[in-house]
Amino acid sequence: MRIWMTGLAILLFVGGALFFALGPQRTTSITLTFHAKMGDHPLVFDEFVYENPGGRGTFRVRDFRLYLSNLTLSQDGALFAEPDSYHLLRFDNPETTNSIRLNDIPLGSIENVRFMIGVDPEANGSIQPRGDLDPNSQMAWNWEVGYKFVVMEGTLRIGEEVSPLVYHVGFSDNAREVDIQLPPDIAVEGDVDLHMNVDVAKLFDGPTQVDLRKLSSVKFNRDDAAMLADNYAVMITPSFK
Amino acid sequence: MLRVFLTAAVAVVIAATAWVFWDRARGPTATPIAGFSAPFVFGRFAVPPDNPLTQEAFALGRHLFYDPSLSGNNQVSCATCHMQALAFTDGLAKSPALSGGELEFSSMSLINLLWGQERFFWDGRATSLEAQALMPIQHPDEMDQDLDALITELQASRDYRRMFRKAYGEVSAENVARALSTFMRMLISSDSKYDRFLRGEVRLTAQEEHGRKLFMAHPDTKVSLRGGNCIDCHSQFLTSGFRDALDGFSNNGLDSDDDLPDGLMAVTGNPAHKGFFKVPTLRNIAVTAPYMHDGRFETLEEVMDHYNDGIVVSDTLSPLILEADNAPEAGQGTVGLRMTPDEVQSIIAFLNTLTDEGFLTNTQFSNPFEGDG
Repeated sequence: MRIWMTGLAILLFVGGALFFALGPQRTTSITLTFHAKMGDHPLVFDEFVYENPGGRGTFRVRDFRLYLSNLTLSQDGALFAEPDSYHLLRFDNPETTNSIRLNDIPLGSIENVRFMIGVDPEANGSIQPRGDLDPNSQMAWNWEVGYKFVVMEGTLRIGEEVSPLVYHVGFSDNAREVDIQLPPDIAVEGDVDLHMNVDVAKLFDGPTQVDLRKLSSVKFNRDDAAMLADNYAVMITPSFK
Repeated sequence: MLRVFLTAAVAVVIAATAWVFWDRARGPTATPIAGFSAPFVFGRFAVPPDNPLTQEAFALGRHLFYDPSLSGNNQVSCATCHMQALAFTDGLAKSPALSGGELEFSSMSLINLLWGQERFFWDGRATSLEAQALMPIQHPDEMDQDLDALITELQASRDYRRMFRKAYGEVSAENVARALSTFMRMLISSDSKYDRFLRGEVRLTAQEEHGRKLFMAHPDTKVSLRGGNCIDCHSQFLTSGFRDALDGFSNNGLDSDDDLPDGLMAVTGNPAHKGFFKVPTLRNIAVTAPYMHDGRFETLEEVMDHYNDGIVVSDTLSPLILEADNAPEAGQGTVGLRMTPDEVQSIIAFLNTLTDEGFLTNTQFSNPFEGDG
């Protein structure tokens, strides 16, 4: 009798251990890599190689950066929200990419990725540094306005004439949600490698097409800023292999 | 009785001798600097893990900073070109060079170096304060000192041997750099009128407040917003250049393409950085004349005139400067902010609120070889 009991206990223990070891993954890691593009090609800085989408002339990009915030991952209604989730995406590196890595998220897999282009109103109205938010950085306007969400600066050249391009889009109303559904087979051994394109061209050639000569700067005009926000709302798209 | 007394005396002598030997043989006894605070609005800062802020390192760094024996001819100290009363500048466009003539750049102020851009010198050639500290010492036109010779000199001094031992252990060039860096990191200015305004302790005058608003605003004629556009390069609380990457460097329209100096391009090799120089802090700016990397402007009025209608266009000029204009109609031959004289004077009034008398006279930062130091 006693031998039976002991045997059963051992069997249960080994079986249970096997069940948990071979069972579904308890955590998942994810790398989100953002590739700065102009149309289909990697973004090139500081060269007059781009056509004015809405008019005459060519332009160059000196600076392009944006805030991505409130990154949330979910599976079957289970949700993981990254704490202090404020990322400044800048692309002034040879690969013109920027990566965010989250390790050991308590989700068995990831079906959905959501984030915001811009900053939520609460953080946007605060001078508390958190994540990549820094009130002494280039992305801060001042504490009455908050942060610039998307910045693009450059130069437009028409013939011999050059003129500055300054697009600083902020204001809490102009944060835009991005929601990405992942294909079911994207995780490899508990690791998700998600690539996304950030197409700068969409900023001027989205729902509204912009002539850079006529609208060479956007800063505090609310209508202009909202128009560019609707354009950049569709700027980030996944590229599944 | 005598025997007891003698025994006790011998014991005391032995203990004292042992303590002296032990004190010399043991490692550094540095005391962390715990009692310093900085305004919350300055934001985060980082101290290199291999050079923590300690009182002993600060004391050593302060002595080294003011000691002319750090130079080859024993006549030039760091303080020769970085004088406390002038916010650690020297009041000259360019300091004299040892070999005659003058140095390439104007002496930079040393204020709040824990925050803001982490590259140093006008062209950003040093990537840390520790790297920066040894450069002027060895530069043939600045202090012209051989580091090995310097270490030999310092080792010959009993006081320095003791100070190095307490702060770091051994006398070495590396530790000279560390100590000087600690001293410079502690040069914190946070009690100007602007700071007291930020803490809610004082009000700015109407003119200063007008200047503050202009300082913080990029002009936008489309919504009738007037601005001095200072904040596009000078962060709102620190008033220094930005910390991230190379954001703290800019071409602010001083020279045309034909005579634009290399600036940051000399360091990065990137032609997009030609004519870029470090954006300095504006803390105590009223006492750091003359201005710009080459000291070309003698007064804040001249500086404001430059930004108001004296911008020289070049290929790498910041588009934020080229675009910033308070007048709705196109400019006639000049480029600049085109503010009214009142607005210019208001910005200058605001800049004067950045002077911190307590910093300029703080006895902890003064020459320790003089007075009560």
